[in-house]
Amino acid sequence: MISIKNLHKKFGNLHVLRGVDLKVEEREVVVIIGPSGSGKSTILRCINYLEEPSEGEIIVDGITLNKQESVINKVRAEVGMVFQRFNLFPHMTVLENIELAPVKVRKMSAKEAETVALDLLDKVGLADKAHAYPEQLSGGQQQRVAIARALAMRPRVMLFDEPTSALDPEMVKEVLDVMKTLVKDGMTMVVVTHEMGFAREVGSRVIFIDEGRIIEEGTPNEVFYNAKEERTKTFLSKIL
Amino acid sequence: MNFDFDLIINSIPLLILGAGVTLQITLLSVGFGMFIGMFMGMARLSKIWAVKMVATVYVDFIRGTPLLVQIFLMYFALPVVTGQRIDPFVAAVTACSINSGAYIAEIFRGGIQSIDKGQMEAGRSLGMSWPQTMRYIILPQAFKRIIPPLGNEFIAMLKDSSLVSVIGFEELTRRGQLIIARTYGSFEIWMTVAFLYLIMTLTISRLVDYLERRYKIDDKH
Ligand SMILES: Nc1ncnc2c1ncn2[C@@H]1O[C@H](COP(=O)(O)OP(=O)(O)O)[C@@H](O)[C@H]1O
Ligand SMILES: [Mg+2]
Repeated sequence: MISIKNLHKKFGNLHVLRGVDLKVEEREVVVIIGPSGSGKSTILRCINYLEEPSEGEIIVDGITLNKQESVINKVRAEVGMVFQRFNLFPHMTVLENIELAPVKVRKMSAKEAETVALDLLDKVGLADKAHAYPEQLSGGQQQRVAIARALAMRPRVMLFDEPTSALDPEMVKEVLDVMKTLVKDGMTMVVVTHEMGFAREVGSRVIFIDEGRIIEEGTPNEVFYNAKEERTKTFLSKIL
Repeated sequence: MNFDFDLIINSIPLLILGAGVTLQITLLSVGFGMFIGMFMGMARLSKIWAVKMVATVYVDFIRGTPLLVQIFLMYFALPVVTGQRIDPFVAAVTACSINSGAYIAEIFRGGIQSIDKGQMEAGRSLGMSWPQTMRYIILPQAFKRIIPPLGNEFIAMLKDSSLVSVIGFEELTRRGQLIIARTYGSFEIWMTVAFLYLIMTLTISRLVDYLERRYKIDDKH
């Protein structure tokens, strides 16, 4: 579903990604862990071209990414992204947030988009909030709306960039629960998170990244309990 | 000094007509200026070098030269090049629009930059194009934030439009001059003219305050 070969990303002199190779198969749930600043977000952001790779090849759902707007927009329509800070549109209701892209990009009719949106709100447990504005919702609710908004495009892949790290502890579960239902539905997912419980329960693979390189990868149990690399062990000892 | 109250009473209808013309030229100029400014403001933020350069040169040139000189350029200098005389009204509105556009471009640029970067990223990540994201997500939010500076620009333009009197265009200031030429009532007429400007600017600033407060109460919607 996603194939990344020799991905490099530089910000000026800062060499953030230093040759990342990564394959994500359909229905896989890949969890990325690593220290702050190691390049986790940058990998996700290269996959949907929010950042332009400095070098390397990225293929998403059979489409090789390049600079072309039409190609980028096509890939983005297939790749949903959920941000740490939700990034809901504050001037629109929850319903409008979800309907916008399907109407503008997928050319869905307003009626159809509304049906899809209400359906998804039901799925994330927020059917009663359709006409609320984002600021009226708690962080956990906002993040669930953000997930619904991404799903409304019917993406083939979902990217999550630390979806629960801006949340109060009591709201983390409601968001992880929604994500788990996506896993059950067979969604292909790449998740940057330090929620070990989530990784162990639904992760097909855990990838540890440090200083822009993949240091170690394996099943959750292999990485969490039988790490081979010293750097992985040091990192895990800090967060477990 | 003799204060001629009758002169004021007699001149008021003419002056009010002039004030109407002033308001009209201001509305037109700020209206066109917003159109120009919106695109130039976005162009200032463009990643495309040439686009950004054109907008920067435009904004710098207009803000770095006096409006009076711009009016002269439009009314006297341009016809030399084109060989076509230009109507004072057209010249006035064009010069003022181009002038206002540069200031409004900076207002839009500031407004757009004040919107969290995550908004553009969220829009783009959903597959929307840059213009779509601008149109539906960034500009509506930016617009609410720039109402106060736009109001200020409107007031500034209303006052600066008095400069077009120099090309003989009969707005409020020019009407005042003409009445004085006939009646020598300098004090009365200039006081009345000032008073009419003041009424207009105060009204507009109240209106802008009201709009701003209404959007605050409604908050972001
Ligand atoms: N737009 C940018 N410009 C310059 N530096 C950036 C930019 N985005 C990220 N970086 C830098 O790249 C490095 C990796 O960032 P990031 O991928 O966000 O790390 P992580 O998500 O693992 O914490 C950091 O040092 C960060 O400061
Ligand atoms: Mg990050």
